[in-house]
Amino acid sequence: MKQLTSFIQRKRESQPILLMTHVVYGYPTIPESLEIMEMLLKEGVELLEVQFPFSDPVADGPVITEACHVALEQKVTLNQCIEDISVLASTYPESRVLLMSYLNPLIQIGFDHLAEKLSPSISGMIIPDLPIDHKALATPLNDKEIPIIWIVTPGMEPSRIQKIADQAAGMLYCVSRAGVTGQTNSPIDSLESYLNSIRALTQLPLAVGFGISTREDIAMLENKADVAIVGSALLRAFHAGGIQQVKRSLLELKGSNA
Amino acid sequence: MRDDGYFGQYGGSYIPEILFNSQQQLLKEYRSAMADSAFIEQVQQEMQEYSGRPTPLTHCARLSAQIGGAQIYLKREDLNHSGAHKMNNVIGQGLLAKRMGKTRIIAETGAGQHGVASALVAARLGLECTVYMGAHDIERQYPNVFWMKQLGATVIPVTTGAATLKDALDEAMRDWSASYDDTYYLIGTSCGCAPYPEMVSGFQSVIGHEVKTQALKQFGQLPDKIYACVGGGSNACGIFMPFLEDSTELVGVEAGGRGPQVGDHACRFNTPQARFGIAQGFSTRFLQDDQGQLLPTHSISAGLDYVGVSPILADLADRGEVRMISATDEEVMTAFSQLAKNEGIIPALESSHAVAGGLREAATLSPDQHIVINLSGRGDKDLFNIARALNDQPFNTFLRTYLDEEENR
Repeated sequence: MKQLTSFIQRKRESQPILLMTHVVYGYPTIPESLEIMEMLLKEGVELLEVQFPFSDPVADGPVITEACHVALEQKVTLNQCIEDISVLASTYPESRVLLMSYLNPLIQIGFDHLAEKLSPSISGMIIPDLPIDHKALATPLNDKEIPIIWIVTPGMEPSRIQKIADQAAGMLYCVSRAGVTGQTNSPIDSLESYLNSIRALTQLPLAVGFGISTREDIAMLENKADVAIVGSALLRAFHAGGIQQVKRSLLELKGSNA
Repeated sequence: MRDDGYFGQYGGSYIPEILFNSQQQLLKEYRSAMADSAFIEQVQQEMQEYSGRPTPLTHCARLSAQIGGAQIYLKREDLNHSGAHKMNNVIGQGLLAKRMGKTRIIAETGAGQHGVASALVAARLGLECTVYMGAHDIERQYPNVFWMKQLGATVIPVTTGAATLKDALDEAMRDWSASYDDTYYLIGTSCGCAPYPEMVSGFQSVIGHEVKTQALKQFGQLPDKIYACVGGGSNACGIFMPFLEDSTELVGVEAGGRGPQVGDHACRFNTPQARFGIAQGFSTRFLQDDQGQLLPTHSISAGLDYVGVSPILADLADRGEVRMISATDEEVMTAFSQLAKNEGIIPALESSHAVAGGLREAATLSPDQHIVINLSGRGDKDLFNIARALNDQPFNTFLRTYLDEEENR
């Protein structure tokens, strides 16, 4: 469980912030999504979040939702997804690969089977519709030391942040604003104090996502958070100019870190 | 129900963390409102003075004679203001939204009846209203969209996925994630995270309570069987729940659609594609593939083709308290015509499923038995679908003439 935490801490010694990019497995096709992932890893993103698509992704905005629906037309399977990203994870040991999906595909394959398949190449699991109160569902992941990356949000009561922080491992996923992924509404006014209030309750690295799309957004998070999460912005780049545009956007996002 | 919102293995709350505070606030306010006799009186008063309750229990003498079996009674939810049972729930939740100090409501709708009911109650209570509706459903149910707009609501077409109710529900949840400070999410059926299934069923159970009183008065005993159509399940929960301790058999009728193939029906019971799942904030029986992806559905009635079902009904069916059957599109149209021509009542296509199931089984019963069919809504909104299903050419000619005249005006 501590492996992801120590990886982030080690990288952070020389960088003001790390980058986690998000890719939908199977979008626009399985080979192309793998090509995008490989390019991102080659270009040195520290963390890669791979979303296994679900038909009803309620925490995602329109860009990722549409990508999920297109990916589902490719008849993707969770087993194949795990096999494909495990190969990538082993090929690029200087980065970490995390799997993200919603509960229903996971409970259909079964958490026991999932834990067996994921171990040990995948560094964490993000499940937006799994509340901490139901974490027992995912016990097999815990048993295999695969951390579930829990989500904290603006407006959350300190007692709930504490409850989550006490049970969390790897890092905390801090949502930067109300809403779903990819929205461009302003981040909360008090982002710094929001992050500080979480920092006061945990030693875990803080990753910040939802609506992070520009170099300026990332610069604003430097030394306040440990990881910036970019999802919809890279999908929009792909729509604008394919994989080459994703690469250009990535280099831009990394800025002085490139 | 347990305190944590479970009904057996179904129900619960599986929502993105961003909605946790809102869900907890709703749970607390709902419990407080239900313990407040003034609030309950206010709901009852609106149900009587605004919606027109109690609705009658109508004996169908000619239809009963034609079928040649049990005495058939209809619970006339079609006579509610707005023409459907949906009004019972929106009155309750609308008043709760006001009590919570919210200024805006959002709703999702399939057939459009819940959208119209939400728009009506929002107008009455002075709340802003946004309704999410699948683009495919908008095509099928435009008259309801028209009325929502006249009532001042904003109707947002949802084009993602199958562009039907489940996709509208996803969009409403996304809106709620961004707007919970001032917005109340008014769910139209007894699905979703806790406390929605309990709350919607609670507001709808006025239907079953009235049936109990009316049955005893009109035929001196409780009904032998009660039939209700089952999409999300709110009208079924509403009429069934007050009878759970009685000997009355409770029968749900699902949308058998065109047949048993994937994508041709919306049966969450008795089909291989339906099994336990967790999605859209709660656990229940969902139609899904082997990868856990929710499947497309079909019904002649936009209001019944939801991919999940109320966790309350899923549990009652598991426990043998409710029996689930289905009616195909074809059977539904036959039942529609039988009721219209024999009793002068035009049922909604949703309700025609319950009529189809009830008539099928009434024929096997004796004339001294009594069945009640919940007529959840009236058929005016289905004019275009019914005309299409009946291949009514004069109606098409009328539409062409009307459009030509409009263009030349």
